[in-house]
Amino acid sequence: MAIGDYPKEYNPAVHGPYDPARYYGKPDTPFGQVKINEIGAWLSRRNKTPSAIAGAFSRAWWRWQHKYVQPKKVGMAPFYQLVVGSMVFFYAINYGRMKHHRNYKYH
Amino acid sequence: MLSRVALRSAAAKQSTCTALVARTSATDVSGVRDEKNFPRPVRGEPGKVRLGFVPEEWFQFFHSKTGVTGPYTFGVGLATYLCSKEIFIMEHEYYSGLSILLMVYYASTKFGPKLAAWLDKEVDSVENEWNSGRNESIKSLEDAIQDEKTAQWRAQGQELLIEAKKENVLLQLEAAYRERMMQAYMEVKRRLDYQLEKANVERRLSQKHMVDWIVSNVTKAITPDQEKQALDRCIADLAAIAGRK
Repeated sequence: MAIGDYPKEYNPAVHGPYDPARYYGKPDTPFGQVKINEIGAWLSRRNKTPSAIAGAFSRAWWRWQHKYVQPKKVGMAPFYQLVVGSMVFFYAINYGRMKHHRNYKYH
Repeated sequence: MLSRVALRSAAAKQSTCTALVARTSATDVSGVRDEKNFPRPVRGEPGKVRLGFVPEEWFQFFHSKTGVTGPYTFGVGLATYLCSKEIFIMEHEYYSGLSILLMVYYASTKFGPKLAAWLDKEVDSVENEWNSGRNESIKSLEDAIQDEKTAQWRAQGQELLIEAKKENVLLQLEAAYRERMMQAYMEVKRRLDYQLEKANVERRLSQKHMVDWIVSNVTKAITPDQEKQALDRCIADLAAIAGRK
């Protein structure tokens, strides 16, 4: 599977038009339904190759796009989400520098 | 055309190779379109959010455990914790962020609804523009079907009219036929009348001639002797009649 190809499991004859937000492999238990003591096994079953991780991020990106950005009449929500997300991201990467601005020594 | 063929062959290649892979990965290999598990994606409504950006699902996730106020309590509690422990540090940028937030809030509440209405109108107008060609062609085709039906209805009327015209022509032919029959009858009758009249005239003339000829011959054949005898006879008969009285 080279860059730009469809996932191996995607079969246009069966699945119809390609949905980039969808995982076409064999579905595992959704993460929200995994018991705490099964999390280790669930994580060990995950495919941790770089391409699989990139695919997971791509699906998440398209799921967000389909839900908040692509509908016909969207509000400001996706833009605010982008702003808040970038605020959190840049706060996190700058946290080492921010730490020197603390006002109190003891909490 | 060629590009379509190329696409189709590429798709065929893809499907064969994916079928090979799918057999090993234990998904169905029937090759039949699975509409139930893989329906055609549709463009949905935008997801609901609260506070401008927090997904509604986040609040729903809390509801079963903590009730309706739970997510807010959690948020406020977390913020209190982060602030009091100075994990979240309020340096100078924090206050500029607060002022920007105020401005954004004011702009959203003041201009948001108007902007949203205008944008929705624009979206609708663009969609209508894109659909107008299709709708117009559908309408023109429907009109054409309607016209065709009307034309067929009119053609049926024409059939009726032609039927009547044919009947009319037949009546005219019948009338002409009868007229000619009458003419022939009259002609024959006239000729026969002529023949009859001619025969009558001939017979009358010949009879007249015969009578004339006989009378003249008879009068020619009568001699004075015979005349005298006849007179005598007559006188004798008269005398006999007179004597009997």
